Amino acid sequence: MRALNKNTVWGYLFASPWIVGFLLFGLYPILVSFWYSLCQYDVLRIPQYIGLRNYRELLFEDHYFYTAVWNTLFYTLVRTPLVIVGSLLLAMLVSKAVRGVRLFRTIYFIPSIISGVILSVLWMWLLNPEYGLVNSTLQFFGLQGPLWLIDPRWSKPAIILMSVWSLGGGRMLVFLAAIQNVPKHFYEAVEMDGGGWWARFRHVTLPFISPVLFLWFIFEIIGSLQVFVEAYVMTKGGPLNSTLFYNLYLYNKAFDDFDMGYASALAWLLFILAGIITLIQFRVSRKWVYYSGGVGK
Amino acid sequence: MARRRVVKYWFVAGVKDNIPLCVQLFNAAQESIRVVSTPIPWNEHEKKVLTAILSGDPPDVVNLVTPVPKWAARKALVALDPAITRDHFDTTRFFPSLWQEMSYRGRTYALPAYTGSYALFYNRRLLREAGLDPDRPPANWQEIQDYSRRLTRRENGRIVRMGFIPQYGTIETPLIIAFEQGARFIDPAGTRVQLTAPEVVSALQWERDFFDLYTVEEVSAFMGGFGYGNQQGFIAEKVALFINDNSFIDQIARYHPELDYGVAMIPAWGEGPSASSAGSWWLAIPRGAKNREDAWTFMKFVVSRETQLAESMSRDETLFPVNRFAANDSDFLGMHRYMAIFSRQMEQTRSKSIVPLVHDIFWREFSLARERSLRGVMSPEQALGQAERTIQAFLDRALEYDRYVDARMETTEF
Amino acid sequence: MSGRRHQDYLIVGVMAAIALFFLLPFVWILLTSLKPEAEVFSRSLWPSALQFDNYARLLDKMPFWQYLRNSVLITAISVLGVVLSSSLVGYAFGCIEWRGRNFLFYFVIATMMLPMQVTMIPIFVIFKELGWLNTFKPLTVPMFLGGGAFNIFLMRQFFMTVPASLLDAARIDGCSELGIWWRVVLPLARPALATVAILTFMFTWNDFLTPLIYLSDQAKGTLALGLGQLAGQQQPEWAVLMAASVLMMLPVIVLFFLFQKYFIQGFTMSGIKE
Repeated sequence: MRALNKNTVWGYLFASPWIVGFLLFGLYPILVSFWYSLCQYDVLRIPQYIGLRNYRELLFEDHYFYTAVWNTLFYTLVRTPLVIVGSLLLAMLVSKAVRGVRLFRTIYFIPSIISGVILSVLWMWLLNPEYGLVNSTLQFFGLQGPLWLIDPRWSKPAIILMSVWSLGGGRMLVFLAAIQNVPKHFYEAVEMDGGGWWARFRHVTLPFISPVLFLWFIFEIIGSLQVFVEAYVMTKGGPLNSTLFYNLYLYNKAFDDFDMGYASALAWLLFILAGIITLIQFRVSRKWVYYSGGVGK
Repeated sequence: MARRRVVKYWFVAGVKDNIPLCVQLFNAAQESIRVVSTPIPWNEHEKKVLTAILSGDPPDVVNLVTPVPKWAARKALVALDPAITRDHFDTTRFFPSLWQEMSYRGRTYALPAYTGSYALFYNRRLLREAGLDPDRPPANWQEIQDYSRRLTRRENGRIVRMGFIPQYGTIETPLIIAFEQGARFIDPAGTRVQLTAPEVVSALQWERDFFDLYTVEEVSAFMGGFGYGNQQGFIAEKVALFINDNSFIDQIARYHPELDYGVAMIPAWGEGPSASSAGSWWLAIPRGAKNREDAWTFMKFVVSRETQLAESMSRDETLFPVNRFAANDSDFLGMHRYMAIFSRQMEQTRSKSIVPLVHDIFWREFSLARERSLRGVMSPEQALGQAERTIQAFLDRALEYDRYVDARMETTEF
Repeated sequence: MSGRRHQDYLIVGVMAAIALFFLLPFVWILLTSLKPEAEVFSRSLWPSALQFDNYARLLDKMPFWQYLRNSVLITAISVLGVVLSSSLVGYAFGCIEWRGRNFLFYFVIATMMLPMQVTMIPIFVIFKELGWLNTFKPLTVPMFLGGGAFNIFLMRQFFMTVPASLLDAARIDGCSELGIWWRVVLPLARPALATVAILTFMFTWNDFLTPLIYLSDQAKGTLALGLGQLAGQQQPEWAVLMAASVLMMLPVIVLFFLFQKYFIQGFTMSGIKE
């Protein structure tokens, strides 16, 4: 009993920076945004309480809401596996101790440090249907490239392509750190049993990095649900609303239309959706995430 | 030496050493006030101003371009009427449509400061090549179609040149066409959106008919080859007819000085008058500003004939004066052989701020309706009908909130 | 042995092929920064003549050294704050068993789920009430308060792979929790610390919105803000913009290259056996 109490004191002590931060800068925005979601409110004037009307209009009258939800789910479902598998493969590749590996890691990392504005200019140039590098390359192989950002059927894939390319390096870094943390003697044990690279990956790497992988699934999904910048800079939601993502719509409401109440209601619906998905992930994680530490089990 | 009183001035721009000429002139012209200017980046500039007002310590003067009512309705700006009356400030100096934009519900909140005047640029060489008279640019929208048909070229089935592209440029072609037919878009009381009025429908129909000869996809692909600078469609001679503002003259001079072009009035609808649309960069005093009196002095200085002339004649990118006397001054008109056309066109502009309370929603919906009608997803009537319903729903919300707040919050008076 | 060598060559070959794919856009940015403005959007990748005017113009167009100093200062403080506080908090959630832990952890994750567009204004109001506007505090102080849900979560996940037996052994030896955190867990988690440091560096270095909202004096601006200002002109000078972005990327690239030695040390090097 005494030990538990001592632990509790230590626990709160270690967590205290976050607790202070949460009380100062976390709790108030959460509560107040919920209050605004029940109001007409434009930031510069006083809020007017209107009950659940924002939610009602969103769910039953606003067809953009469903367009935005569909676009965002599409983006999330396609992008998440691509980014995770892609950056995991990259990380495994650059975890090999071969000559020049540091240089290659640095190169893979470069796209993720290009700042947003430049990135969008870069991709508008790459995806330009007339002279862009992507379609020129396709043409070289005898293929007719699509119109990408100006075709409603290709605009979402184009944005996914760009985000996988630009985020892969940063994700790679995290997986690389996780892979480097795997104790070497486990690999030796598998090799002695005659296992190949697949066995090493399946029985050592994967279980060992599963906590980080799990983190990344959660993070990637929450992040994808909030996709914003790419569409904001490159397409403004077009063509034909095909890239009107949830957070872009929310942004339009909050800062173009100054309709903070409506935007807050949008935010809370997303909050609930993300919460449900994350809870499910935590449930499922018990089946596949392996913690070598004692407390996580 | 007496300490000068400070006026904090925020303007949207981007460079360090760029202290606007009006500030330099003002600081040199008198001894008691010093204007300190701060450039704020265009990206997210509204957020910057919004939070500054929220902080209770905003600058004394802001220079913005989004509709005045968007800010005025939110009680973010100081009403200037008391100062205007007190100083017998002459407001007829401004172009009428620019001046109208400065007020919301009968009160004035800002002064227009800079604008751009739009007109039709035409490529004389290409007109000649297509067997058209280079001294007779298209005068109405029906002629635009005919000219365009003759000017457009294809090679191996791909478009390599177009006469005119309704989508290219910053001005909305159907908006102009609707204006020319007298469309109002909203009832006089400002409460019912009228997007399905026949003048608006016929404007969208014109655009759709224009596309009878082309597909949206091939035109989009063709436009994908345009860029900035010397890759700009008109400058690269890929488009022969193009509507743009007066600063385009400088761009042509910079990127393609030998281009043989002319400038004409914006085409009319049939025999009717030509119309244009313009907005302005305006100056206002945000709520909570400390030094209002000196701010007002500075604002008056900026819109004076002398300052307007000095500024519009000195800039790299020519800004058009909001002051009619400056815009018709012989020195200004002498700057370029086509300047007089821009001044004439400026007298015939209408405001783009049509439903100011839900301005951004209006424009998002209007563009979407255009896109839907062009891509054949809906007929012009259907597309406009859907846009009208959405705008109306949000306008109703905004009006209701307005009434609620009006009973509980005061407007800041000068 | 020679089979191993061949395999290495193959791996390097694959890596080089992929590198091309990632490098080409950077080459475009670099070459564009050396072009005269009129050639920026031409089809040709190569400038007609290499010239460094854009870099000179850049120094002319913004108070570069002042912005650099501010950026370095803010970034350094932020990285320090995040690494320190997220590892402390991560330790609480990953290595200690205490009442209320799981409950609070859900709140940590919940803070990631509310879009910043709606929390931005309330947070701004708090900083205003604290009188911190137009100072570096809104940009740095929160970094010492956990450093964000993502970093805490990342630390926790890494710490949870530290064998429990190791922690228990240290506790039995009479080591305090603070001692275990500092002497046992942190040395083992170097790759994680390095990751958090690099990601925080990148984020803070490139952050445009926070400095924009909180800093109003031009003298307090950061490089990212300056870049945003250049990009936000009515007629952006793209070549100058590319020069600015090259200058902004270089320190990150160099730092990342040097930082990598921390990635090859983990359990393996520390010589601890389970």
